[in-house]
Amino acid sequence: MTANESIEVRAKTVEAAIEKGLAGLGLRRDEVVIEVLNPGSRGVLGIGAEDALVRLTRRPQPPAPEKAVTEPIRAVAKEAVAEVPKEKPIPAPAPAPQVPPVGAEALAEVRRREEDAALARALLSDLLKHLGVEADVQAHYTEATEGEEPPLLLDVVGKDLGILIGRRGDTLAALQFLIRLMFNRHTRRWVNLVVDVEGYKARRERTLRELALRMAERAVATGRVVALEAMPPAERRIVHLALRDHPDVTTQSIGEGEGRKVTIIPR
Amino acid sequence: MKDLVTFMAQNLVNDPSQVQVEQIERPHVTVLQLRVAPEDMGRVIGKGGRVANAMRTLLRVAAAREGKRVILDIV
Repeated sequence: MTANESIEVRAKTVEAAIEKGLAGLGLRRDEVVIEVLNPGSRGVLGIGAEDALVRLTRRPQPPAPEKAVTEPIRAVAKEAVAEVPKEKPIPAPAPAPQVPPVGAEALAEVRRREEDAALARALLSDLLKHLGVEADVQAHYTEATEGEEPPLLLDVVGKDLGILIGRRGDTLAALQFLIRLMFNRHTRRWVNLVVDVEGYKARRERTLRELALRMAERAVATGRVVALEAMPPAERRIVHLALRDHPDVTTQSIGEGEGRKVTIIPR
Repeated sequence: MKDLVTFMAQNLVNDPSQVQVEQIERPHVTVLQLRVAPEDMGRVIGKGGRVANAMRTLLRVAAAREGKRVILDIV
């Protein structure tokens, strides 16, 4: 391999792709420039998962004891991806690499996310075992909404899992609440953990959004306040968010405790 | 059920070695008495009893599988 030759490696995660590439080249990490072309994604519910793609380029000289460039992977990836279509040959003895190598910090972040997923999954699996429920737990990160931390979704899959959802979803709510506490107790960090059973929450959210829009239409058509049936807090929140930007109605929750319900008010 | 409470409590407290669960069988109900280190009481009870109630909700699932009624006491 000549000084400016590079290879592109694909694998499930950035870290795995780097390891694979280094093994293929027989080089150490500090002998190559690493570009993350695509950080990959686990997709949503296993759909749209994408492999990570990295480019490894042998450094022209032994690495100078330069200060490690540490930048979040996302920023690095954006630059790298923007560069791909031009098919620009890598400048021969690059004085300073155009794209900074993936810093130790970014790699640590990738590793941390994988460890978080493994820990959360282990805790939930053990808890289910103690509950006498036979089921699998699938863990993956989903898309972040509006600057939130990307939620780590733990989906429980198996047979006859209605018992894990409970009336008004309160068993599922307890499950999520305790898993978050246990996770936090072990890591001393807060992570946006979401526990779902057979996609129950995902389905329920879709149903509630549709219901909200239909009832908003009715409120507008009749000019009267429409009250929905009583719902737990997480479900009321979905209704409020669904109608937040609706031009013709506002929403408000009324009632106390188990009887609290959303009302849709025409403007 | 005793194992379930032990597992939940040990993963919620700072001092798992102090977690003790005693199971008492009464005619129509099983009573589980949970003891933790005094400093950890708040962690197994929670604000307004939220943690204790979440544990009770899950305990009901396990009890239902065995066709029993169960009470969780934190002492």
